[in-house]
Amino acid sequence: MLRLLFLLLLLVGCSPDPAPTGSTQITALLGDDAAEGFLRAYEPRSFVFPGDHGVHPGFRSEWWYITGNLDSAEGRRFGFQVTFFRFALSPPAAGNRASRWAFDHMWMAHVAVTDPRGNRHHAEERLAREALGLAGAEQNPFKVWLEGWSLTGTDNGFPWHLTLDGEEVGLQLSFSPLRAPVLQGREGLSQKGDEPGNASYYYSITRMQTRGVLTLGERRFEVGGLSWLDREWGTSALGGDQVGWDWFSLQLNDGTDLMYYRLRRRSGEPDPHSAGTLLFKNGEKRLLGPGDVRLEPEKWWTSPDDVRYPVSWQLTVRPLGRTFLVTGVIDAQEMDLSVVYWEGAVDVFSAGKVVGRGYLEMTGY
Amino acid sequence: MVGRRLFRTGWRHLTRHRWQSVLSILGITLGVAVVTAVDLANDSARRSFELSMAQITGRTTHQIVGGPTGISEQLYADLRIRQGLRTSAPVVEGLVRVRGETFTLLGLDPFAEKAFRPFLRTDEGDWVRKLLTRRDTLVVPAVTARRLGLAAGDRIEVEAEGRSSTLEVVAVVGEAGNAALDGLLLCDISTAQELLNRVGRLDRIDLILEEAAAPWSQRLPDGLRLVRPGVRTAAMAEMSEAFQTNLRAMSLLALLVGAFLIYNAMTFSVLQRRGLLGMLRVLGVTRGELFQLVLLEALVIGVLGTLLGIALGILLAGGLVTLVTRTINDLYFTLTVSELSITAGGLLTAATLGIVTTLAATLVPALEASRSSPLAVTHRSQIELQAHRTLPWLTTAGVAIMASGLLLARLPGPDLDLGFLALFLIIVGYALLVPLSVVVLSRLFIPVLKQGFGTVGRLAGRGIDAALSRTGLAVAALTLAIAATVGMGIMVSSFRATVADWLGQTLQGEIYVSIPHRASRRATAPLPAGLPQRLRSLPGVRELSMGRSVRVEAEGGMVNLLAIEMASASYRGFRFKGSTIPGLWQRFDDGEVLLASEPFAYHNQLKTGDQVALFTATGVKRFTIGGLFFDYGSDRGMLVLAAETYRAYWKDPAISTIGLYLDEGADIGTVLSAVRQAAGGLDERIRVRANREILQHSLEVFDRTFTITNILRLLVIGVAFVGILSALMALMLEWRREHAILRAIGLLPEQLLRLVILQTGSMGLMAGLLSLPLGWLMAEVLIDVINRRAFGWSIQHLLPVGILAEALLFSLTAALLAGLYPALRLMRTPPASALREE
Repeated sequence: MLRLLFLLLLLVGCSPDPAPTGSTQITALLGDDAAEGFLRAYEPRSFVFPGDHGVHPGFRSEWWYITGNLDSAEGRRFGFQVTFFRFALSPPAAGNRASRWAFDHMWMAHVAVTDPRGNRHHAEERLAREALGLAGAEQNPFKVWLEGWSLTGTDNGFPWHLTLDGEEVGLQLSFSPLRAPVLQGREGLSQKGDEPGNASYYYSITRMQTRGVLTLGERRFEVGGLSWLDREWGTSALGGDQVGWDWFSLQLNDGTDLMYYRLRRRSGEPDPHSAGTLLFKNGEKRLLGPGDVRLEPEKWWTSPDDVRYPVSWQLTVRPLGRTFLVTGVIDAQEMDLSVVYWEGAVDVFSAGKVVGRGYLEMTGY
Repeated sequence: MVGRRLFRTGWRHLTRHRWQSVLSILGITLGVAVVTAVDLANDSARRSFELSMAQITGRTTHQIVGGPTGISEQLYADLRIRQGLRTSAPVVEGLVRVRGETFTLLGLDPFAEKAFRPFLRTDEGDWVRKLLTRRDTLVVPAVTARRLGLAAGDRIEVEAEGRSSTLEVVAVVGEAGNAALDGLLLCDISTAQELLNRVGRLDRIDLILEEAAAPWSQRLPDGLRLVRPGVRTAAMAEMSEAFQTNLRAMSLLALLVGAFLIYNAMTFSVLQRRGLLGMLRVLGVTRGELFQLVLLEALVIGVLGTLLGIALGILLAGGLVTLVTRTINDLYFTLTVSELSITAGGLLTAATLGIVTTLAATLVPALEASRSSPLAVTHRSQIELQAHRTLPWLTTAGVAIMASGLLLARLPGPDLDLGFLALFLIIVGYALLVPLSVVVLSRLFIPVLKQGFGTVGRLAGRGIDAALSRTGLAVAALTLAIAATVGMGIMVSSFRATVADWLGQTLQGEIYVSIPHRASRRATAPLPAGLPQRLRSLPGVRELSMGRSVRVEAEGGMVNLLAIEMASASYRGFRFKGSTIPGLWQRFDDGEVLLASEPFAYHNQLKTGDQVALFTATGVKRFTIGGLFFDYGSDRGMLVLAAETYRAYWKDPAISTIGLYLDEGADIGTVLSAVRQAAGGLDERIRVRANREILQHSLEVFDRTFTITNILRLLVIGVAFVGILSALMALMLEWRREHAILRAIGLLPEQLLRLVILQTGSMGLMAGLLSLPLGWLMAEVLIDVINRRAFGWSIQHLLPVGILAEALLFSLTAALLAGLYPALRLMRTPPASALREE
């Protein structure tokens, strides 16, 4: 999905507006003369797994994004998000530098845990350069890491293991896919703007069986549940007309998975590049365009920094002929980090009953 | 309180004797100015150091530091990844030169900086990307940018490790008013490693730890230590403390001379008015009121002089701070002071000193005034009689005070303040002996003067003796001022001679090869590994000695260590103080023994045979001190270890100096160019110098260090000159009547001129002569007590004739000049009007 890349490039690009609070931080690092020297996503490609789970260093940015809803053995609910971002600050260096601290790629990791019962949302962030083993990626077996935080595959691919020990939260989770990777957009080429190359390669694993241990402060919980993986890499440079997006990843109890992102234009209109996918239990896939989905904010929440987010939505999916109410399990799930955005666990209601769970990401408010 | 009318009489006196008043004010002004200037300069240097250390340290609570070669960068990665030590930041630090100025280049990892320092935040714009990804970028603090006229986008030449590189200023950070950042340049850690030749190494790792981190230091690899930055900062500040204390003491000397001027001036003004004071008593003015009157007058002078002095001091401080900073940079650590820190406290101290000194100096004259008898106007002759009568008392007191000063100076112990007290007592005691000496000297002068100048000469000599109450004082003030300059002069030239001798002895080799570095570096830059081999094979080269200068951690902080591999002649380079342990060199080579320089032993209170514990790369190791050698290279001292021992314990095979010993008859010039060629091919930074050049250069640094001393000396001379002028002019004005009588009874104007010139000249000569023993004594105390206690150096005792002759010439000239004005005025005044004036 677009997610942060979009935000970053949006801010770096031609947007004449002052960037939202805090958001300039990483964007500054990416620079504005950026695309030259990097690979770009022009055409669909053939994805090969497990190789494509790993890093694609020729592209400017890339991420491993896992969100999920978990329950502890004693029935306590949690939401979590873990992301490893890779950004190339400069194209692969021509001259070789003597210092091992010299680097091309920087890594950023975000982690957040939502604890609806404690009405708490805790987010942390780390940054490091790809140097001296402080952060980086490996193939065979797959591994990405930032200092002590890591996501590693096994020799045969899955399960993946997440090891993460933050200030307040800790996650020791293993992920086993219940479904094959689904290629988003046109055979995995996700177009972000009109200009060719303003696209990314994008695939998801929409259901991963997840178990392990979640630590919150001093307390330790045995947890299990479903997670969602998004993988995306590219070298996009978007026009300045798009101001943000609302992105949904929903796992319905009937086995249907829904991904939809709505790009918002400055005029308030949805951008024609808004897109999504419906994945049915039988493995059948249906692409969604802006005309297939209707979104109406239901409830607004104001963050401590005075940013207003719609934390509850009416989501109408025309091909399904259904309207859902998608509501954050708590309102305060803003990620107040180097990049400020709202990302949180949601419940999906239909006719007053919970019919699924998922994650919602909102930027540009 | 003193009534209005009474005060007006005092005020009138001050305004009528304008010259006298002006000169008294000038005396105090100069004294206070020097004290203020030195205080401000010292304070500014200290404050600037503390602030910039605080900026560099940021919120760091602890630091991991290593040996001379620093810390492996991999340790940092391990700490963060395996130990999860998140609040840690790597630092590479070194000195670079930009536009002839030395800066501290701080190489940081912006990703790790957030918790530590606010300079390199990753959220500040595109420049951070440039800083991170380009090797030729750096960031300049706003205060420095403004001073150097730099803006983002400018390119500057940065000289580091003997190489010059062009770097782009990608940003100007911090507030323009934050002077504490001046002297710093910031860049990415990769850039710093490459510029400073530190690839693979860190200078330290900064940490923020919540509690005392005892378990941490246990976990560190051998050779690394966990320290608190405050302790290191304090240890650094301490290095220059003795230097600054000495400056302060010298400035107080200037004030002391100023005090004598006040004493002198006030005594005169009381004597001049003895008639008026007696009359006032008849009119009912009490003793107390007269006492207060004189004090009040002094207060006016003191306040005016102090205010002017503070203003002048602030002006002077601007120049002085540069000198103080330069000396600190030459000898101790890198410091940029771009701002004079003028604190209310500092100014208040100066003001209090000025006013209290004035009042204290006026106490005796004020008492004298209060003793004015109402019955009869005291006769001049009576005063003089009294002056002669108090002579034994004065002399006794002088002897007692001086003796106690001398005794105090002989007391062993490290207390610098007691040393200064001793010096002060000696000076005051000696000053009390001056009147007697004047009597004796004038009696000795009379025959000579009579012989040379007949009656006029005799008159001149007798006059001095007869007016002892004034002349004694005037001569004492002059003596003191001149002695101060003599004492400082002797001390400095003795010191210089000692250093020159030592350099001659130490530099046994004919040619030395090294890479230029700054004194505050942890380790000198290593020479290329193949160099010794190459040099050894050059024709004319008989032998090599090799050295590695580093700073290593000892229990009390960093110490300078020189690891040497000696040539056969190198041994002669050491001159030992006292005895050495038996079998010294054998045990030195075996690695159990090291040599300590005299200041090191002094500061750490160690002697031959004692043990020194050093933190080596393989843990703590104790060495025995085999002997104490004379060394003037560092006032904190240094240790010398056999190269092999050093390599074994510190795992550092580098060498940083090579000394070449030439064959008998080899031509230095030829070998020098051969060496330059051989070395230059390996590394263009290498500097090859003949020992003569080093000697010369070292003495230049020495002279630069003492520039500030010389300037203070000049200031004291300035005060002294004003003293001579004011004392003698007052005296001459006072003698106007007598001179008029002499004119009236037939003395020709030319004869009168000769008389006056003879009188002032004699007094100048007396002061000059009397200043010599005191000056010598002061030099002895400065050398043996003050210098020893401050720095731990043994300095030869020299008595440079030049300085003595200079002093005599100076006092004579000043005295003659001082006599000129009143004499010329007298010549032009008809005797009758001078007589009428009284």
